[in-house]
Amino acid sequence: MPYRKQLVALAVVLGIALVAIAVVYWVEPARSLPSFFPGHEAGSSHHHVKHGIAAVLVGLACFAFAWFNTGPKKRSA
Amino acid sequence: MHPITYFQSSMLGLLQGVSELFPVSSLGHTVILPKLVGWNIHQNASYFLSFLVALHLATALVLLAFFWKDWVRIIKGLGRSLRDREIGADPDAKLGWLLIVGTIPAGILGLTLQDYLRKLFASPEYASIFLALNGLVLFGAEMLRRRAPQTEGDDDTRIARTVGWWQTFTVGAAQAIALIPGFSRSGASIGGGLLVGLSHKDAARFAFLLATPIILAAAVLKLPQLAGSQGNGVRGPALVGALCAAVSAYLAVRFLMRYFETRTLTPFAVYCLCAGTAAAIYFAV
Repeated sequence: MPYRKQLVALAVVLGIALVAIAVVYWVEPARSLPSFFPGHEAGSSHHHVKHGIAAVLVGLACFAFAWFNTGPKKRSA
Repeated sequence: MHPITYFQSSMLGLLQGVSELFPVSSLGHTVILPKLVGWNIHQNASYFLSFLVALHLATALVLLAFFWKDWVRIIKGLGRSLRDREIGADPDAKLGWLLIVGTIPAGILGLTLQDYLRKLFASPEYASIFLALNGLVLFGAEMLRRRAPQTEGDDDTRIARTVGWWQTFTVGAAQAIALIPGFSRSGASIGGGLLVGLSHKDAARFAFLLATPIILAAAVLKLPQLAGSQGNGVRGPALVGALCAAVSAYLAVRFLMRYFETRTLTPFAVYCLCAGTAAAIYFAV
């Protein structure tokens, strides 16, 4: 697979993962987050809404990168 | 009795509107001024943070209104680029994506570090030292700036041609320094713009466009605080403060867009250095 296509595939996978991570941050309280997630805190009922927003922003940026790199190629003159 | 009086809220509103846009740190001034004049306002109290939300919202709305025509062009450009799946030579699309790329690092750093840094450094003593350091940053930006090439075209086209993707990312990330009271967001982004080769006027324009979504998003995100129980007792003063902030922000942005046509950051650097040093000495003795 060409390098560019590999990058696009990686961006899409990363984008989906980040959106999923954002949903986890919004839905689960800090005590229920996986221990390797930033913000995990045993016994805390706080929801890390901001962490979720940050994750979704980066996820959208990944999708935008993939979108522009899969558009119709311009013919060179 | 209100925890913030109407007089205090008017003064803080006027100060916020000006200092948010002038490269002199609004947060630093909001931390230093109450201590200097002996106001008993707790900087980390939830009512004060809710009050600040209203001031930021007013400032962001003024910025949005001031550059409304630019934003309409930019959003249309973004729409065209998404439809055509390429940015090409469209300056409005390029500027729009530059603003998005610049906003992402500032947004992420702000979302994750804001509360931590504010709690750590929200003391007038720290703020005055950082205000003096902000003066040195502005001096540094003036000394190291590249000469902006004299080119034709409208402001947004010049910015879109001059600023690259990595540069806008760096300038956007540099805005996060304003999370530390005393350092200025607009100072960091105008200074960054100068370093990448923009003129003072274009750097200021780019800085204000870059600041609008960040300030607006931060304010909207915390608006429930003001509407909820944390806003009890400060909604009246917050409204008055917001109106004052809106008036002073409008006058400030109008002034600065003319000022930077011919002038530099040096007077602001001198002010920050002198005011920060004087305040630090005052608090120390």
